[in-house]
Amino acid sequence: MSARRWAARLHVPTLAVAALVFAGWTLLSWRYGAYVLPSPWAVARGFVDILLSGEIWKHTGASLYRIAVGFGGAVGVAVLLGLAAFLSRVARDIVRDALAVLNATSVFVWIVISIIWFGLSNWAPIFTTFMITLPVVAANIVEGVENVDRRLLEMGDVYRLNGREKFVAIVIPSTLPYLVAGMKVGFGLALKVSVVAEIFGVTSGIGYIMNYSREILATQMVFVWALVMILVMMATDKLVFDAVSRRVARWR
Amino acid sequence: MAVKLAVEGVGKDFLIPVLDRVSFTVEAGEFLCLLGPNGCGKTTLLRIIGGLEPATRGRVLLDGQPVVADRRHDRKVGVVFQEDRLLPWLSLRQNVALVLKPLGLSAREREAAATRHLRVAGLAGFEDYYPSRVSGGMRQRAAIARALSVEPDVLLMDEPFGALDAQNRRIMQNEVRRIWRETGRTILFVTHSIEEAVAIGTTLAMLSARPARIREMIKNDGRVERAKLIDDLNTLIMEEVERQQGGAK
Ligand SMILES: Nc1ncnc2c1ncn2[C@@H]1O[C@H](COP(=O)(O)OP(=O)(O)O)[C@@H](O)[C@H]1O
Ligand SMILES: [Mg+2]
Repeated sequence: MSARRWAARLHVPTLAVAALVFAGWTLLSWRYGAYVLPSPWAVARGFVDILLSGEIWKHTGASLYRIAVGFGGAVGVAVLLGLAAFLSRVARDIVRDALAVLNATSVFVWIVISIIWFGLSNWAPIFTTFMITLPVVAANIVEGVENVDRRLLEMGDVYRLNGREKFVAIVIPSTLPYLVAGMKVGFGLALKVSVVAEIFGVTSGIGYIMNYSREILATQMVFVWALVMILVMMATDKLVFDAVSRRVARWR
Repeated sequence: MAVKLAVEGVGKDFLIPVLDRVSFTVEAGEFLCLLGPNGCGKTTLLRIIGGLEPATRGRVLLDGQPVVADRRHDRKVGVVFQEDRLLPWLSLRQNVALVLKPLGLSAREREAAATRHLRVAGLAGFEDYYPSRVSGGMRQRAAIARALSVEPDVLLMDEPFGALDAQNRRIMQNEVRRIWRETGRTILFVTHSIEEAVAIGTTLAMLSARPARIREMIKNDGRVERAKLIDDLNTLIMEEVERQQGGAK
């Protein structure tokens, strides 16, 4: 019984497939050599190396710092846009249209523009991250604001709650789940995008070091840093966002 | 007795005229049941009386003061809607305490008053539950407790037990009747169930088909036998339902 439970927990079928992939990977790396496809063991060794040398923290930290500023700024601006959308119909329509335009803009556009504007500096990946995550987070908040139950607001009017009281008691709690969902998607996007932007002009960060590893023909390190990225993504998802989502929906 | 509420020639047009001219008065401490065919404008009338909707014609006086549909009113009305309209992220106690904020009570006083009113509504022991964790009947009780907690001049209830099963409905009718006796509030209770109206109201007002007027006002003081009253009202409402369907053609 409990063996089966453990089997379910560990996603045994997934593990089986993973084992097959590893086997195939090893075979292919023998066939084509370490430059094209390093073996899983070389990748594992590389991972242990950066862990021991502390290099992992330097680059992950640099990337996370840029994400924190760019994505954090986007969340802040998105909240303000959501507030505007709540206060005025006109503002809501403008915000919606503006977000549609931003949503249709490619990552590459922002990377090129940010290099022109900010040169080869920290601000290029920060700005790119900001511009890409803003529409995702803001669209979610605006949707949340639109979905505030009018009947609850009317109840607030019956009992003479003022604007601030209604905002705190009704609007914020009903928008919160949308904000968290938007931040979850937005953070995933931030990690992917900021790393691309780091290829240009900065000398730290996961994107930089991956590209650098490629230039010095250390293909196994490209894989190692890809692994680091995946781990960071999964860890924040499981540890941060799942916990926050649960807390926000405590009353359900 | 003093007139608490005067409805004077109130009418409302949406795309079609819904309320023609409705006039009646409610005395302090009365329990008035508003009956009428589905879609004849009962909810609309209640919303006008509660100041949630402006009237097209006529006016409503509460304690002699005209009721204006405006968010910044200073009336104390309690409304129990067909849905409970509790905030799902607040406990029952917090839900009640919230509406006491505009009364200028301290947090401690609000909590105490909320607990007291929840007890009156039969919810002692459930104060800290979220609405999703209690039954529909209990949520409606909490909504009633909330409406009573502001010590309203008039309590408006719009088919509050429509979503409940027959048994819970009976229980809640008795509860409302008991609360009314204990608090002496003036109550306006909308229902489309004649049995319900006869069971709990002191006065029964029957609206006509759309555009609605008052068709009958009947004192439910025991002088007419209940079975006969129900029969008569059933005949009336069937007439109005037919007229309304005829008019829709
Ligand atoms: N906000 C509104 N806009 C347009 N028509 C409405 C609105 N509210 C109610 N009505 C119409 O007014 C009529 C009476 O509705 P209502 O007062 O809800 O009836 P009842 O509560 O007696 O069933 C219905 O025909 C309904 O469609
Ligand atoms: Mg109705």
